[in-house]
Amino acid sequence: MNEVKTEKLGEAWPSVEVRYTHETTQVMAAEVIEKIPPLLTEFRCAYCERVFGSLSELQAHYTSEHPDAVVPRIITLHINSRYCQVLVEPHWTLKRTLQYRLGLTGTKEMCDKGVCGSCTVIMDGRPILSCTTLAVECEGKDIQTIEGIAAELKNKPLIDAYCKWDAMQCGYCTPGFLVTAKALLDKFPEPTEEQIKEALSGNICSCGTYPRHITAIMEASEKMRQGA
Amino acid sequence: MADLVGANGQRENFRIVGKPNTPGKLSYALATGIAKFGIDYVVPNMLHAKFLRSPYANAKVVSVDVTKAKAIPGVVDIVTWEDEDIKNLNSFGESFGPKRPWLDNYAEHEGAEVAVIVVAENEDICEEALRQLDLDWEVRPHLIDIKEGRKQDAPVIREPANEIPGLGGPGMGGGNPPRKGNVTYSNLVAGDIEAGFHEADHVIEYDLYLPPFACRFPNPSGSVAWWSDDFYAGEGRSLHIEGAVRERKAISNMYRMPLEKTVQEGLFMGGKYCDWGLRKSQEITPLLAKRTGRPVRCVNTREESFDFIMKERYMHMKVGFKDSGLITAVDDYSIADGGVEGSSSFGTSGDQRYGPYNTLKCQNIRQRMEIVDSNRGKMYVSGQHCPFNWDSGTMAVYLIAEELNRDPIDIARINLHGPTSQSDPTPVPSFEACVEEGKKLMNWSWHKAGTKRLPDSRLHGMSFRYQMCPRHAFSGYESKLELRDGVVHMATQGPIFGVFAVECNAMVVAEELGLEYDDISIDFDYREKFSPVGGGADGTTASAWVTKECANILKQRILEAVIEEADNPAPPSMFSFGQPQVPSPFKGLKPEDLDMADGKVFVKAEPSKGVPLAQAVKRNLFATYSGMPPLALWTQGMGRMLDTMNTAYCEVAVDTETGEVEILKLGVVADPGKIMRLTSLESQIDQVMYFSQGCQLLEDFCYDERTGVKLNNNMIDYKIPTMLDVPDVDRHFLESRAGNAAYGASGISHSLANTHLIIIAIHNAIGVWVDPPATPDKILEALGKV
Repeated sequence: MNEVKTEKLGEAWPSVEVRYTHETTQVMAAEVIEKIPPLLTEFRCAYCERVFGSLSELQAHYTSEHPDAVVPRIITLHINSRYCQVLVEPHWTLKRTLQYRLGLTGTKEMCDKGVCGSCTVIMDGRPILSCTTLAVECEGKDIQTIEGIAAELKNKPLIDAYCKWDAMQCGYCTPGFLVTAKALLDKFPEPTEEQIKEALSGNICSCGTYPRHITAIMEASEKMRQGA
Repeated sequence: MADLVGANGQRENFRIVGKPNTPGKLSYALATGIAKFGIDYVVPNMLHAKFLRSPYANAKVVSVDVTKAKAIPGVVDIVTWEDEDIKNLNSFGESFGPKRPWLDNYAEHEGAEVAVIVVAENEDICEEALRQLDLDWEVRPHLIDIKEGRKQDAPVIREPANEIPGLGGPGMGGGNPPRKGNVTYSNLVAGDIEAGFHEADHVIEYDLYLPPFACRFPNPSGSVAWWSDDFYAGEGRSLHIEGAVRERKAISNMYRMPLEKTVQEGLFMGGKYCDWGLRKSQEITPLLAKRTGRPVRCVNTREESFDFIMKERYMHMKVGFKDSGLITAVDDYSIADGGVEGSSSFGTSGDQRYGPYNTLKCQNIRQRMEIVDSNRGKMYVSGQHCPFNWDSGTMAVYLIAEELNRDPIDIARINLHGPTSQSDPTPVPSFEACVEEGKKLMNWSWHKAGTKRLPDSRLHGMSFRYQMCPRHAFSGYESKLELRDGVVHMATQGPIFGVFAVECNAMVVAEELGLEYDDISIDFDYREKFSPVGGGADGTTASAWVTKECANILKQRILEAVIEEADNPAPPSMFSFGQPQVPSPFKGLKPEDLDMADGKVFVKAEPSKGVPLAQAVKRNLFATYSGMPPLALWTQGMGRMLDTMNTAYCEVAVDTETGEVEILKLGVVADPGKIMRLTSLESQIDQVMYFSQGCQLLEDFCYDERTGVKLNNNMIDYKIPTMLDVPDVDRHFLESRAGNAAYGASGISHSLANTHLIIIAIHNAIGVWVDPPATPDKILEALGKV
């Protein structure tokens, strides 16, 4: 499997002081996006880890060595305003692709069944569940992940409000909520409480932070409109 | 008790502590997806591992042939229970009960890890390899229905018990009947039960069903581990693991690695809800990484994550009481799910010893429990709802009120003993204050069951419960604060799990040093000893007490250093360029003449004479404090003495045509002693009330009893509340300052978790009992409409 280097082994010591603020996380999110290569330069066999210089070489390898295996293919995704080539197998979900191919780990997996909303991304302006969306279906679509939202300064009021109001406890489901909230605010800049509840009803928080999201989104909505 | 011995324990004015809307120190990382949880880690050349999971509820793998599986391209390693590497593994994670081999060929529930682990280039190949194993299973009789399992003719599902008593394991009460069939007995008797019933004017009997409840980790359990050379920790390889729980000590012990060479840097643990047991997927990766020489990831699927956070129990209660409502005897008989071997005794005998009836004046208590082995599943350690038989007492209060046509709050008041002992007849001030505010909050007007109809024709019901706050923080804390280059640093280890404990401690430091919350720099470092958590909310208040002491030591050192530097200014350096030195306003003073506020050191007698902290002292200073606050009252009798209390209320409307229950209002009046961080206190209370709502209205663990297979271990069929389900929780807080920890705080801990607050309100509406989860079909059935 051709995994993206999201961590460099053994280089993390000693830990350094990192203050997580809007400014630092905005930069970090932008860096994660920046790291995604636009073009594939190596083609790795999923079974024996051999690396080839082109897709045709990889396909030839599959034909000779793994004739029964599903041959991966190249797709081009448009994610967070950048085009990138990705090598995927046809059954790969967008969620799996984001984590294993692109290092976009802000999209979380909780239920793996399209129930909990933790894996939500925005596709062509609509929140969709990346755990039940095949990556090969996403070509030609405009996809925004939590990293893309975090990297844009205009979303600061929403992120600030989430942090100010503790719209999170353990925080695992939080990016999914925030992505859904962003899609809601794009559609309804001044949402009612009922619209917020309806929009976020597909996002599950085991920690029970639900009322916090309403408060945060209401406040963000007002600030975003004032700043617009 | 109050914080009488600590520095500034009686502080009257608070600038920081108790303040709302102070963002968490890691909140921006969480909100933006920058935060990485264990299962998010993807490292170069990483392999994947999967356990064989039993398709049977009770079975043995007699033999396995791995030849076909090993031949699959991409399979790197296959390990079986017979491998020496596996036989040598021992778990050091928090667990209960007798120790089984870490992995063997015996599966006690459907979905249990058993016999084989496959390591491959990706998860798809792992799954294919598991399918290609040639397995010879010996399928045994299984037991899902614990009421059947206790019968004499039930098949005995477990080999003769390995009678090594675990921490709080079943059957440790002494004088219990010997184990029989699938049943272990745990009996506790206090006082004279017969005399208590003889004294009673009334006797009521009732049944409670305490449903099983799944753990709800948002992030599936798992880990990624690798071995690497590093030059910081000396020779030999270091183990790096992400996704192991809380402290890395358990992994360090398991692999006999020095702690300093066991690395877990990740700061984000995900929700735990007091379920601290390490899963096998969190423990196995170091071994597999060592065997293969490559990083290995092993993560449970959601289906594999449905362990119990509480186990099933059937209770039959008999309560004697006088005409006044005073309880004279409690006879508590229960049949509890013992689960698979190694299941936590919280949920069984551990709950008996947790003092479910210790807040009562009545001391004639008999608890008899039959703990039945089953193939239902495992409860690892503790959980959000444990101890969960407290509502057996809540129901007694309610039923006595019904019988005597009295307000249950009055019945609770009559039965609650005083602050100092069970013989103390005086009121508990915290309880009295809570119910006074609670009545206002709820516009409380009691009515008998089935007697109030709302204008829309639905039936109205209401309920009330009280609890003391259990305290688990028995251990000490080691706090370290540093003034470095004019900035105060607080060192702490991660990872965090959502209770904002670090932030509470930082607020205390800011309060004591006259700084702002944002002035405190949190240095997260896994090598640090200090962790601000431990034992529920009270752990945070206890660590905050230690941090408060440490902050005051640092303050003293700062003030001493200020005077020393003022009296002995550094000579001009070559960089002074001849500029005259400004004399310090503190020259000639003593440390006790100074104080700190608004980020400055100032002269007490002349507050206008102040210098910003970074200018007032140039040197770097450390302060450390090791210790703990005086033990909480709860630890000295588990409810036999009382300080801070809390109360919860519920109002429902029940549609008798559809069976639908609407929660009109959930109310909580709580006395955490002192509010430390308001926003997270509110949020934690929401959490526990929604947990409790899910348990009583939605959540149900279903089995196919014929096969023992779990039917709804997924998030589609196992329902938990969504945003559309939950009502607002109306909260009111009191600050009695009567707790033992920082500023008299005690925390709330598990005390508001309940299994019957809503169920009682439903009974108060319709006049008949419905066991949780009270789904519409069950309500209609109870009403005789289906």
